[in-house]
Amino acid sequence: MTTQTHDFTVIEGGTAPVRVEDMAPVARFSLRLREAHRAAVGQALGFDLPQRVGDVARAKARAALCLGPDEWLIHAPEAEAEAIAAAGAGAYAEAPHSLVEISDREISYAITGPAARELLTIACPRDLDRLATGRAVRTVFDTAQVVLWRDGEDAFRLDVWRSFAPHVRALLDAGQAELSAGF
Amino acid sequence: MSQFRIPGKGRVDHAETVSFSFDGKRYEGLRGDTVASALLAHGVHLMGRSFKYHRPRGPVTADSAEPNALIGTSRGAGEKEGRFEPNTRATVQELRQGLVAESQNRLGSLSFDLGAVNDALHPLFPAGFYYKTFMWPRSFWDKLYEPVIRHAAGLGRAPSKVDPDSYASRYLHSDLLVVGAGPSGLMAALAAARAGVRVTLVDENPEMGGALLSDPGIEIEGRPAWDWLSGALAELNALGVRLMTRTTAIGYYHQNMIGLCEKLTDHLDEIPEGAPRERMWRVRATRVVLAQGALEKPLVFHGNDRPGVMLAGAAQSYLHRWGVRVGERAVIVTSHDSAWYAAFDLAEAGSKVVAIVDTRATPPEALVSEARARGIEVLAGHTVTGTKGRLRVASVTVNPVRGGTVGAARLLHCDCLLMSGGWTPSLHLFSHTKGSLQWDAESETFLPGRMTEECHIAGAGRGVWGYAEALADGAKAGADAATALGREAEAITPDVAHDRPGTGESHKELPTDRKSHRVRAFVDYQNDVTAKDLRLAVREGMRSIEHVKRYTTNGMATDQGKMSNMNGLMIAADAVGKPPPQVGLTTFRPPYTPTTFGAFAGYHRGATFEVTRATPIDGWAEENGAVYEPVSLWRRAWYFPIGGEDMEEAVARECRAMRASVGIFDASTLGKIEVMGPDAVEFMNRMYTNPWTKLAPGRCRYGVLLGEDGYIRDDGVIGRLSDDLFHVTTTTGGAARVLNMMEDYLQTEWPDLDVWLTSTTEQWATVALNGPRAREVLAPLVEGQDISAEAFPHMSVAECTVAGFKARLFRLSFTGELGFEINVPARHGRALWEALMEAGKPHGITPYGTETMHVLRAEKGFIIVGQDTDGTVTPQDAGLGWAIGKKKPDFVGKRGLARPDLVAEGRKQLVGLMTEDGAVKLEEGAQIVLDPEQPLPMKMVGHVTSSYHSATLGRSIAMALVEGGTERMGETVHVPMPDGVVRAKVTSTAFYDPDGDRLKL
Repeated sequence: MTTQTHDFTVIEGGTAPVRVEDMAPVARFSLRLREAHRAAVGQALGFDLPQRVGDVARAKARAALCLGPDEWLIHAPEAEAEAIAAAGAGAYAEAPHSLVEISDREISYAITGPAARELLTIACPRDLDRLATGRAVRTVFDTAQVVLWRDGEDAFRLDVWRSFAPHVRALLDAGQAELSAGF
Repeated sequence: MSQFRIPGKGRVDHAETVSFSFDGKRYEGLRGDTVASALLAHGVHLMGRSFKYHRPRGPVTADSAEPNALIGTSRGAGEKEGRFEPNTRATVQELRQGLVAESQNRLGSLSFDLGAVNDALHPLFPAGFYYKTFMWPRSFWDKLYEPVIRHAAGLGRAPSKVDPDSYASRYLHSDLLVVGAGPSGLMAALAAARAGVRVTLVDENPEMGGALLSDPGIEIEGRPAWDWLSGALAELNALGVRLMTRTTAIGYYHQNMIGLCEKLTDHLDEIPEGAPRERMWRVRATRVVLAQGALEKPLVFHGNDRPGVMLAGAAQSYLHRWGVRVGERAVIVTSHDSAWYAAFDLAEAGSKVVAIVDTRATPPEALVSEARARGIEVLAGHTVTGTKGRLRVASVTVNPVRGGTVGAARLLHCDCLLMSGGWTPSLHLFSHTKGSLQWDAESETFLPGRMTEECHIAGAGRGVWGYAEALADGAKAGADAATALGREAEAITPDVAHDRPGTGESHKELPTDRKSHRVRAFVDYQNDVTAKDLRLAVREGMRSIEHVKRYTTNGMATDQGKMSNMNGLMIAADAVGKPPPQVGLTTFRPPYTPTTFGAFAGYHRGATFEVTRATPIDGWAEENGAVYEPVSLWRRAWYFPIGGEDMEEAVARECRAMRASVGIFDASTLGKIEVMGPDAVEFMNRMYTNPWTKLAPGRCRYGVLLGEDGYIRDDGVIGRLSDDLFHVTTTTGGAARVLNMMEDYLQTEWPDLDVWLTSTTEQWATVALNGPRAREVLAPLVEGQDISAEAFPHMSVAECTVAGFKARLFRLSFTGELGFEINVPARHGRALWEALMEAGKPHGITPYGTETMHVLRAEKGFIIVGQDTDGTVTPQDAGLGWAIGKKKPDFVGKRGLARPDLVAEGRKQLVGLMTEDGAVKLEEGAQIVLDPEQPLPMKMVGHVTSSYHSATLGRSIAMALVEGGTERMGETVHVPMPDGVVRAKVTSTAFYDPDGDRLKL
């Protein structure tokens, strides 16, 4: 069984203004459905699925992010992947929807530290001051489509399509080097 | 220290000297100097040669508008090489230890320039000379004229080394962006920030303050200007305002997007590790205050370009900011009050002011009496008719003007001539927004008119003059912006003492008593355009200022006409005989000042030039010597050479091995779309040409996707996993486009369908296993599915386990051999590949790349969308008519296919071509004719789309689109090539195993 590499960035002295880390894999699903079935499918998956784009519902270790009027992104611990798929399948007859596993489509980076927000501005055109903690958005980082989660004032997560990830990572490393050099 | 530096004066650090060189000579300057101020402190005015006539030139400004003092800069040789930059403005480049500067545009030395022969020959180079002079004889153009002109053209020399610096970029959001940190900009920022607005204040200079830095005698709120300035900056800092110096607003784009270029290291002695040289900021500001100030205009007279002739405002800046007197004996020539103050300050600092020459008959009485009190001679109602001095001005000729008549000349000796033709509001950024300009008759200048963006303009940038008014205007703009942002704001107007208000008048070229052919009065210093050139352009028929500009090149140099546009307009308007607004003003375009390519490129160079997508199996390919080719954004393994194989040898080996035993191929880049929902089958029926209703779960089918026009857009194998679930594959390059097209139809045409699309391209790694031994290799690794020929026939799909990984297994073939495609979650892609390589060892499993894949499919006549199709090929043209569901009521492209021209006879159809000599390979893209003897131009009936050497068949094969191709089976066609005509026979595209027996294993 192969796994992702985890080349956690070692910060000497712990003074770097921002750190970028590969995150462990999680179960990811793309959920699409009509409003009429939002409640039923949500219940099957353990959520009250949010309606406002950017809002995140959380249930234990699971999170459901509203990406569009009919689209949600679900993150959960890896071990729950099959249970989620089964719950969706169970609700399908009554509440048709599309629940597609995309666990391996993306990988995630954690970007943390006092300069985390500043680092993201090297390639993300959004006004990150307006992204409240706990919310997330689909946006771009340079030319790559990403989902950006704000987990705290100084804590962000970036979901990137697998083949775009090295490019995004290289940019983050370049930006991190600037910030560490005080520029 | 030089005689021109005043000890202790200015904002430079007199305690720290900085050493640099100019044209090989070492000089000492002070920390805070620019190259220009440091050289001026040594009495050096000659800093360059002009572009066309190689006339000696010195700085005329003290800022970024400088047209003359352009230098090449570097950090010296050795490891610092690669940092040479031409056309750096000496007035902007700050001194750093070891700076190496050189003058430009000279042949020989700066003081003796062989190119100056052009100056003596100037009658040969009138406006538009290149349209006139070098036309005949025609044969001279290539050998003589063009090489000579190319050698002479251009500013400076291009760097020859790769730039070792890095360049950065950031996005920035601000409620209010204030451009320019002079009095108005500072007040705007203060007013808004005090009201709680998130403000960014930028200035191109190393320190903020604008004109206040050059006018320390002003008092604001009872404090000397510089004290007030530090207080204001401290308050802005405390209010959380983002203060950015050395940052130029280069362009103003739609919806308040402003580009800023920040210089980070050019002023530093050493470049810190990891520091980028420049950073491009893309700012989205809710409101913008433009407080760019005004640019001083030169006066246009004979000899106004001699070193030592300088704008009066620049001399005042050199004095107060850098403690440098620009000369011992100054003559001032002006049409504006402001130059009088420069004269007074210079006199105060110890220079002899020989005379103040004012073109106005009656300058303000207060100024005149102050001049007299200082013992300065005042020559009102005078003009300047010439200057003398070889490399530096030595004298100036002035004449009284009475009733339009130029009187007797008088010679004034001087070593600097300070001029002011009044001030032009800097409208560049406002002009980028396409806001309209309005002619103000009173001040004879253009002012900002109707706004197209949410912006405010304050201070001298909109014609406001004098510190009290500029400060008040800035405060109002800031308060207005804050109010527009929903804040309560107050515009506090500070008290000002010792203000220096003023007015002036505008001129065309100054009146003269010289014969007109002997007048060299420069309007555009950088492009060597004279007043006479402008008048000539009008005489030769140019009426619009846009035409005059292009004919003369006035305002077309790197300074974007900052000095020359208004003077050029006044002269052209006079020549045309219309008021200036009817002749118009040329358009200012970004960038405001020259900006490096590096700043625009940012991170997009080297490894991060562009996204390079790699599959999960890419690492294995790299370790095993794959040669890559780019396919859309992906890099794909092209072939796997062994030993010294070239591509042809490697591909031949890979092909033979696959057909003889088994080959393995990374197909992960194929686009994959999950189509799920109760209406999935209906959606598929409508999108693709094929019928899908009767495709049973567990089976797959080759699908063709058309545009509405009936032409092939994409293709791929589609598996039905359950009644409501399809696994669609697309071409590698078409993945995103096809998903977008499907979403588009779903959302706009068929919102009633209960079906949803999800891209799973990167969820799966896909490995294709092909060849007669494929099943033997695969079978031991499969659990949960019998893959025997009976249980799992060609075009099957199943969910099972392969090598221990959850998999979607397809049986299909793009090679004509028994084939499987195994999809596993992407993270397991490489492990699956390695497991198959291991299992295939006994069978000599051979990895192959995209080139072999292309040959193998061509041997079977399978098309590649985009290679054998070009957006004008229908399924029938491509021999895929069988893939159209004829009984379906509709599908995308159905009506398009019925268009008369799509059902007409003689369309180009895809056929096979076999050259008569199998050793000859046709060239892809080669044109096909029926009769090679026909006269030129021949009628071309088609072209070759794919062509390969087939190791399997031991000869070349090709596919081609040929008019009426399917009717020409067996005919001979001709392919004219540079080294002769190639004869080829039209055949079926199924070159190999046409009956498909090999799939039935």
